[in-house]
Amino acid sequence: MSRVAVVGVGNTPFKARHIDKTFQRLAYESVKSALQDAGAARDDVDSVVYAIYNDFFERCAMPDLHIHYLLGLARKPALRVTTGGATGGYAMRAAYAEVASGLHDVVMVVGVEKVADVANVMEMIKSITYAADPFFEASLGASPAGSYGGAILWHMENYGTTEEDMARVVVKNKGNARNNPDAHSPMDITVADVLASPMVIYPLKILDHCLNSEGAATVILANEEAAGRFAGKPVWMTGVGASNESGRQAERDDVGDSLFPAVKASADRAYAMAGVSDPAGSIDLAEVYDSFSGVEICLYEEFGFCGRGEGARFLADGRASAGGSNPVNPSGGLIGGEHAIGATGVYQVVEVVRQIRGEAGARQVAGARRGLAQSMGGARGAYSVSIVLEG
Amino acid sequence: MSDDPRFKPLKEQDGFAIIPDRWKIDYFASAGELSRFFLELKDNAKIMGTRCPSCGSLYCWPRSWCHECYVDCEWVEMSPRGEVVVFSRIEINLNDLQQMQPPFIQGSVLLEGARYPIVSFFRDVAFDDMHKGLPVKAVFLPAEERTGRIRDFYFVPE
Repeated sequence: MSRVAVVGVGNTPFKARHIDKTFQRLAYESVKSALQDAGAARDDVDSVVYAIYNDFFERCAMPDLHIHYLLGLARKPALRVTTGGATGGYAMRAAYAEVASGLHDVVMVVGVEKVADVANVMEMIKSITYAADPFFEASLGASPAGSYGGAILWHMENYGTTEEDMARVVVKNKGNARNNPDAHSPMDITVADVLASPMVIYPLKILDHCLNSEGAATVILANEEAAGRFAGKPVWMTGVGASNESGRQAERDDVGDSLFPAVKASADRAYAMAGVSDPAGSIDLAEVYDSFSGVEICLYEEFGFCGRGEGARFLADGRASAGGSNPVNPSGGLIGGEHAIGATGVYQVVEVVRQIRGEAGARQVAGARRGLAQSMGGARGAYSVSIVLEG
Repeated sequence: MSDDPRFKPLKEQDGFAIIPDRWKIDYFASAGELSRFFLELKDNAKIMGTRCPSCGSLYCWPRSWCHECYVDCEWVEMSPRGEVVVFSRIEINLNDLQQMQPPFIQGSVLLEGARYPIVSFFRDVAFDDMHKGLPVKAVFLPAEERTGRIRDFYFVPE
């Protein structure tokens, strides 16, 4: 297997609504910026993997087909990946496999989502509801997102995690977004502001929720030989782990005290592949799937940044903050930065690459050499992808 | 037809064309090998599960084959009793599929003998009285209100 390098990254700004752009245009703008970043031309691209989550959002069951030829790539192969919130992560994995296997020299991953064409938030949530088991659970009208609430309550009951602890995640991530010029929701807020925001699904208030963003992100991968053709120093994908769980909200085999067993399995695979044995000591930063504030606290534990039940302490001690031992979501994450769903797992890689290159501006993590990108989707993280990147 | 967005004229917003549209697809979905679950639920107010004849796992929601033994399972009537596993309180209207007015409690119940919990709603219980392990039993809607979907029943404390 060839080593796989990231040779180009790009993205659009992320915001609630790009009223002036179609999903094709958003994809094009991120592709153009990634090609410029790589010093590449579109003819250098041998194959594309599109990360586009939900047909309902784009009003199209084959949105990738309606982008590809407009990128001037007709008669080149392309594949669409759709795995909920892990769409971007799994697309990165598919592209990795195309390069590592020797099938192609240069493969581009294009993540795009345009969520605000759906008439309103209730219609948007309904479209996600159709991700549930169609025979049994979809008729409840319960979004898979609701499955996170139970996991977070479990963490509160068993480890004493509080709503204040979760609010600190929001303050951190909205605050980090102030250093990201492409972020959707930079805010200077306090724990009290978060606690005072309207309750949605106890214990999650509106500010504990991830964003619904529009935007696009692109990553260009190349094998070791081809990587030399492009501008700049490559960043290597050294670990790629993926894992799935039951798609039903409550069905989980007992795997001990892991609330997100697919996340742990994906991280363990990525760590093993990259030779990471001490995550807390060797992961310089992480861009992770903070779909809800409390989830980020659980994830610190799944990634081995701290022990079971120590997530809230890890955060309160500042270890996940900018300048901490393991900064988490310096871009702002899904709560402050963006959540253009299919694009998210791709944008996480864009951000980790910028950090490792030392190009992350005001959000730069000093000395960043190795980073983690992780995305997940479906009921309580039923899909998970973890990616280790190194300079 | 008049309220169907697919036939309405576009709107203009900030110089951009905003096109009203709708995806509307009707189905007659075959429940296939799972049919007995839905028929028994609607006609007889029973929750059916399946048991693997090889490893003995009891599945509800039912699955027609055991994913570990790769053999066909047998139908079994489930006990309507079980215990609460996880729960949360829904405070807003999430969408028009939702049957209950918020706030309401949603969560999972492990039916007696089952390998995995099922998702449902809780009624006649205060949120503060909910806890893991709380004994509950299924209550079925009256026959004329049942439609053969899992929202035909909910759980109350024993």
